[in-house]
Amino acid sequence: MLAKHTDLNARSRPRSRRWFRGEGWTALFFLLPGLIGIFLFLVLPILASIALSFTNWQLLGTPRFVGFSNYTRLFTTDPQFWTVMRNTVFFTIEYLILNIALSLGLAVWISSLKIGQRWFRVVFFLPTFTPLIAVAIVWMLIFSSGGLLDSLMAQLSLPFSGVLNNRTLAMQAVIITSLWAGIGYNTVLFNAALDMVPATYLEAARIDGATAWDRFWKIRLPLISPTLFFGTVMTAITSLQVFDQIYVMTKGGPGSSTATLGYAIYQRGFQNFQMGYASAIAWVMFALIMALTALQFWLQRKWVHYDA
Amino acid sequence: MKHSLIFAAALTASSLFGISAQALDAPVTVTWQMWGEPNDAQLWQQLADLVTQQYPDIKVKLQLSGWTDYWTRLPVLAASGQVADIVSMQSMRMPNFYSILDPLDDYVKKSDVKVADFETSIMSGLSQDGKLYALPYDVGPWMVFYNRDKFAAAGLKEPAKDWTFDDFKTTAKALTKDGTYGYGTQAFDFIAGPVALGAEYFNADNEFDLTNAGFVDAFSKYADLTAKDKLSPVFASASDASAASGRFASGNVAMYIDGPWTLITAQANVNFKIGIAPLPRGSGPSRFITAGSGWGISAASQHKDAAFKALQVLTGPKAAEILGAAGRALPARLAQQTYWYDGAAKNVAGTRDTLQYMFAHTTPFRINEKWNQFENLVMQYVPVALTGDSTPEGVLSDIQSQLP
Repeated sequence: MLAKHTDLNARSRPRSRRWFRGEGWTALFFLLPGLIGIFLFLVLPILASIALSFTNWQLLGTPRFVGFSNYTRLFTTDPQFWTVMRNTVFFTIEYLILNIALSLGLAVWISSLKIGQRWFRVVFFLPTFTPLIAVAIVWMLIFSSGGLLDSLMAQLSLPFSGVLNNRTLAMQAVIITSLWAGIGYNTVLFNAALDMVPATYLEAARIDGATAWDRFWKIRLPLISPTLFFGTVMTAITSLQVFDQIYVMTKGGPGSSTATLGYAIYQRGFQNFQMGYASAIAWVMFALIMALTALQFWLQRKWVHYDA
Repeated sequence: MKHSLIFAAALTASSLFGISAQALDAPVTVTWQMWGEPNDAQLWQQLADLVTQQYPDIKVKLQLSGWTDYWTRLPVLAASGQVADIVSMQSMRMPNFYSILDPLDDYVKKSDVKVADFETSIMSGLSQDGKLYALPYDVGPWMVFYNRDKFAAAGLKEPAKDWTFDDFKTTAKALTKDGTYGYGTQAFDFIAGPVALGAEYFNADNEFDLTNAGFVDAFSKYADLTAKDKLSPVFASASDASAASGRFASGNVAMYIDGPWTLITAQANVNFKIGIAPLPRGSGPSRFITAGSGWGISAASQHKDAAFKALQVLTGPKAAEILGAAGRALPARLAQQTYWYDGAAKNVAGTRDTLQYMFAHTTPFRINEKWNQFENLVMQYVPVALTGDSTPEGVLSDIQSQLP
């Protein structure tokens, strides 16, 4: 028995050694800069933030271990936390539904065009190139009291002003801004997927008398469902992390009506110098993203069709 | 014998070397972390050069970053031990950062810096627990900026130095017409305003106590100017201090509250005459809070003595004259304030009188380490009271509940 083990070890060792000879070392050498980068700027900060979430580090001085008290405070005594959580989920759901519906609609519309397809694709993709901060500043000027929207509404004699000062409408303003900036990416993605649907299937269905709606619902949609799934998951993840628009347009206000997890992390960490508490929120955000992504992967079995 | 000879020779050599090293005094580069726009760089560089002129062995290296970046970078640099030798500090942020600075009292005692040369209120603003952590370069109270042309057009008298809140409100009412608001409110008004009315936001233990009757009442007075009397436009949480100054410059609001540090910019942006008045008082005597900024020495600095020499020049009379004459700062040095009054404030009637009255009536600006958090919450929550979505009491208790 023992002999067998040593034998196995003896046999496996040369193989691993061989791997680290010649090519293996060269590969490692070339990968090293990337690996060091990943370790220093990704793995280490992640580990540090886990550790920090159990301390009350104020950025200056040394962190003090406080156990789970950041987490207990977050879930039990922080008066803002559940509002922040609700805002984040609300933003994600509304934004996700609108983004997917609108970008899919645009993609279908663009692919149905006889001329100007490329032009429209570029037009809708352009905002994706613009830095989100710049986009948010422009939209903030449009929505702020006395801004473009207010004067438009005044021209139309509609009693509607100061969207960003309104606790219900401020979030909608943020969502509109995000849609403007974010829709292009999914539109191009879905448009490309639609173009990949074999024309022969659609041709055959048309001959069999399928309506345009049937062709969309029963052929094109199932065939692009993997892309749709990818778009949905990625959009959900980025919208759970929403920060830039809120930082520029509302600073979480009025009241706490637009404060989201991403903004709360920034505010606690870099404005209030509660690094430990901010790290705890970051891990709650991580858990939320993981849970929702897992849910989406579970749900995909019902509606995503890979090439059969 | 031989050994001791060598030893003696070595000793002599080393002592000689020691003496010569002391006499030569190797040049030192002192780093100086400061905020400012790129177009401020020249002014700050001028001050840095002033140090080298006086002490040829000391070179000051300026590290400039934007205002917001500065406060994000400072704690990060401090935490990683890379903070500059000379650190710029604003009085309102001192409670968060004094731990990275060295107390200056001993340095001051040994030097010929006279504490009495500086405005008292800002010296206490840059102190923590009775220890001085920075020497100030500027100082200023919050005060009312007003459009003198609009006052004249409305047939209003110039405000008295001890005008009351009712006077202020009546004036704002008279100025609110033809699409112009009498007053443009900003987040900080809800701190400086109530204090001037005699209210306190702290209890005896220096903890926030926003729901005391006095503060709620004074806060409500300011909120009602917008919510009930419609004498001011609402500001959104996002648009910070600059919202009302822009409206003031374009002539859409006739009065707003700001500090002397903006006077030079305000004048450049307007095509009317500016007047300044103290904040209105309540039923008691006037009282005002002042803020300002200065420079301290990093506790981690390797060149503390050189840094203090540089600091003396940077906050010295010549530097104060340069900053005052350029309009960049109302000098914290009393004797040099005249350069600001005669330069930047030359066209603004009564600046000297008004400010001297205000300095004579200052009250300590009470802050603690949660001050930043409080200011952010004020910016976030006050708009809700201005639109009438919530009552002033509601807003204050919301803010209070979030300040653990």
